[in-house]
Amino acid sequence: MHRFSLLLFLLFWFECRAFAHPVSYKDAFGIMSYNSSNRNELLLTYSINHKFAVAHTYLLEYKSEFFIPRANFLLKRWNQISSQANVYLSLGSGFEKFKKQVFGAHLAEIVLDWESRKYYSSFEGLILQRDNGLNIDMPHQVFGHGKIRLGMAPFLADYEDLNIWFITQFDGNTHDKAVHTTQLLRFYRKNVLWEIGASFQGSFQFNFMIHL
Amino acid sequence: MKTVSLYFTIFIGFMGFVSDAATTIKKAEDKPIGQKFDSSKEKSNILEVGVKGMVCAFCAQGIEKKFMQQKEVQAILVSLENKKITITFKPGQRLTNIKISSLLKESGYEPNF
Repeated sequence: MHRFSLLLFLLFWFECRAFAHPVSYKDAFGIMSYNSSNRNELLLTYSINHKFAVAHTYLLEYKSEFFIPRANFLLKRWNQISSQANVYLSLGSGFEKFKKQVFGAHLAEIVLDWESRKYYSSFEGLILQRDNGLNIDMPHQVFGHGKIRLGMAPFLADYEDLNIWFITQFDGNTHDKAVHTTQLLRFYRKNVLWEIGASFQGSFQFNFMIHL
Repeated sequence: MKTVSLYFTIFIGFMGFVSDAATTIKKAEDKPIGQKFDSSKEKSNILEVGVKGMVCAFCAQGIEKKFMQQKEVQAILVSLENKKITITFKPGQRLTNIKISSLLKESGYEPNF
């Protein structure tokens, strides 16, 4: 718990930028998928304008499946000459399916990010409140998940180029209370982004995003 | 469900690349080589606008999309390095600065005229 608190503390000292993109440009449709050994998430978003998006999350974690419609808000954006920073808030309410039973599930997520062409950092904090108390792999009915990412581009790519980033990710949750460190390679060109990574514990990660 | 999700993302990724490649080929066919951003030609039809916050190609594609939807716009070049966009208008056509500001804001950025 102490290490998880440390992560939360670090959040407020790092300015951050994620590619989570809870809200994008007006009329943008986004598909995002985050996959690791015990967690699969598929997130669909449609941005009504550049400050508000409707979204739907499918999340599979510890044998529980979550289906959660949500509303994403861009609370604040700082556009500087050579950098951008954002604060996003996401609120959702849906259900959890576990062993053919259905339970209520609600989430709140905050994303902070800061990015330049060379560096980026981000924090994502998620609280999941669940009515299900039957899943012994996920016993807590209030489940927290935090993620900090620090990235660096080895070269400055322009708009039409293939962009490559080296990223280190620290994440943890209130269930196992361990901090997992994952090294990722991110690639993107135009509207398609994908990441592959491996943690120090040996698990693999594959993330994917597209804007249509 | 895990496997289905993985296959789905790989499929969408493939379709995204195909769609992107098709768009790039279409654009290349639409524009004569060498004319695209040659400022010595039809200079009044070309406008450069600084953009604040434009640091990520993945995020900035909204700018290209928004401007290419305008009937007055023939082509747009996004330069992260120079922190600006170069808009080429169709002959005799133009967007006002107010409209350009509005399009940039819809894309999540701010103009720097």
